[in-house]
Amino acid sequence: MSNVDLLGRRNFIKGMGAAAGVAMAAPAMAVSEKADGVKWDKEVEVLIIGSGFAGLAAAIEATRKGAKDVHIFEKMAYFGGNSAINGGLFAAPGTPMQKKEGVEDSVDRMVADQLKSGRGIADEALLRHVASHAVEALQMTIDAGAEFHPYLQQLGGHSVARTYQTTVSCGAGITQPLYKECKKLGVHTHNRSKFEGFLVGDKGEVLGVKMRENYHFGEDQPGKVLKIRAKRGVIMATGGFAQNVDLRMAQDPTLTSEVGCTNAPGATGEGMYEMFRLGAIPVHLAHIQSGPWASPDEGGFGYVSNYSIYNFPHSMAINRLTGKRFMNEIADRKTRADAELACRDEQGNPLPPILITSYKDSKKHPNTKKVIKYNVGWKFDTIEELAKHFEVPLKPLKAQIEEYNGYVKSGEDKQFGKNMTKAKDKYIEAPFTVVRLWPKVHYCQGGVQVNTKAEVKDSFTGQPIKGLYAAGEVCGGIHGVSRLGSCSIPECMVMGMTAARSVMKA
Amino acid sequence: MKKVNIVLALVLAGLVSLSAQAVEQRAWHKEVIGKDCKVCHDNGIKQFPSDQACLQCHDVDDLAAQTARSEEDKWQNPHNNLHYGKDLPCQECHGEHKSKKPLCSNCHTFKFDKHKE
Ligand SMILES: Cc1cc2nc3c(=O)[nH]c(=O)nc-3n(C[C@H](O)[C@H](O)[C@H](O)COP(=O)(O)OP(=O)(O)OC[C@H]3O[C@@H](n4cnc5c(N)ncnc54)[C@H](O)[C@@H]3O)c2cc1C
Repeated sequence: MSNVDLLGRRNFIKGMGAAAGVAMAAPAMAVSEKADGVKWDKEVEVLIIGSGFAGLAAAIEATRKGAKDVHIFEKMAYFGGNSAINGGLFAAPGTPMQKKEGVEDSVDRMVADQLKSGRGIADEALLRHVASHAVEALQMTIDAGAEFHPYLQQLGGHSVARTYQTTVSCGAGITQPLYKECKKLGVHTHNRSKFEGFLVGDKGEVLGVKMRENYHFGEDQPGKVLKIRAKRGVIMATGGFAQNVDLRMAQDPTLTSEVGCTNAPGATGEGMYEMFRLGAIPVHLAHIQSGPWASPDEGGFGYVSNYSIYNFPHSMAINRLTGKRFMNEIADRKTRADAELACRDEQGNPLPPILITSYKDSKKHPNTKKVIKYNVGWKFDTIEELAKHFEVPLKPLKAQIEEYNGYVKSGEDKQFGKNMTKAKDKYIEAPFTVVRLWPKVHYCQGGVQVNTKAEVKDSFTGQPIKGLYAAGEVCGGIHGVSRLGSCSIPECMVMGMTAARSVMKA
Repeated sequence: MKKVNIVLALVLAGLVSLSAQAVEQRAWHKEVIGKDCKVCHDNGIKQFPSDQACLQCHDVDDLAAQTARSEEDKWQNPHNNLHYGKDLPCQECHGEHKSKKPLCSNCHTFKFDKHKE
């Protein structure tokens, strides 16, 4: 991961004096060019860049719609991107499990929840398109062999329980079956292949791409650049840029390299920036979301994130300085991340708050055992032990637990207005499990603007850029200020499928 | 033109002799491979070996069997793991000429006692 810091601001400035020439030379090579008189090294029918949910779903759908020669290019050594390390949480309205559990839900309701969290600037048309096709996308994963826990979850900001989760509690429970399905369907997959620019025709239409093959991420190895023609079109599914410290700091200077990140190392954003150079419209780039369920005791998403996502509804988050609650544990992500970042000691240094759960309730999540086993969470038999371990003032803590248990009983949280439905009968009682919380940079709401056909719009003409489609996190504006948890998988999958349908119609 | 070629030849010669003399090599590989860089460097000496290079001698299924973990930790098997199955190229966790950490350590604290950095 440290490799990505090469782009970090501080290193960049440090490098300016000594090796400015060297530092500048490399990026200058990676630009789009006119395709006039180009000698193509290779020609493919549908060209997909990136192998996460969006890329894999696009490849499967394109093949089902009749494409014979579909290629996925991935710059990393391994396939799957963020999707392969994701939490496996998939939201959809009107699912069979909702019917079984008697949950009233609809496309309208899901869109309304998302618009609220988007704080007025989300793209309603896109949200509606995704929500309307989410069940179809869920079906694609099940057809490919994905398996889901037999219960629904209600995540922060959702007004009902509408979230499925893979039995392995990870997006790999979807990417692995989709990848195998791609192989079965004859999709060609190329790893260590880095997209470096478009080749465009006279009218600015995308004809093909420059692709560096035999690329080793973070290593100084030249590889070789191929010029590949895409007969039907190019689908960009290159994900977000959360791992690119320089680019994310350009948008939000508080997101320095000191703030952790949950993303895979390949989330560096050059695919998106290359589309901007071509004329794509940048939307909402500064809205970069941090995950309030992450732990400072492990790297990336780790084990704690899913543990806490599951446990927040029946847990108490405590400020260690005061021994009191400081947020609604199931508010949307931004609300919680901001509240956590405000937890500091008297000197203003970060004092990661703790999440206290009764072991009897936490242990229902498969990660609980692992969280304890790998020393990223702890179990305590008494509140005294717990308070001592984290240096929390005991008296206020005891009083807070009593008060909170009153809310569990009455069903009304007078402190923060938390929806106590999922906390019913789940009193905070010994023995306890505890994890520490600290936000990590997690999701880039911003990206290129697309329409409901996954066409990338040109900033000057307002028209789609011919031959260019984008799907997944590389697209921006859909969620507005803050994306609700479990809403990216449906978006990536639906928009990937949509891009494929558009390519096959074009 | 000629001069450039000479310079290039010198550089290449330097690289080869460098790899033969000074470059670090895993003890257990020394015995089998000796100093024949090309055994692994199937893409040319200056390039990293291909993802298939190690598989000339090693078998993924055997490796997966060797590093299998208990049912509960089944997916923490580096050679058949949750995220990438058996498809993770060897070079992501193993380096012949330099030390590497297992890829898992990016996000997880679990230990692989036999992994040599
Ligand atoms: C740890 C984690 C947990 C998450 N959990 C959830 C969850 O439970 N539910 C949910 O809905 N969302 C979740 N998210 C968000 C969601 O996983 C991502 O938004 C989603 O995976 C993005 O999918 P994608 O297909 O757009 O991109 P990715 O899956 O990131 O794939 C993009 C791929 O493109 C490749 N690439 C980038 N640039 C280039 C280039 N120049 N050339 C070639 N290839 C390139 C990358 O290496 C990568 O493999 C999570 C995210 C993270 C990081």
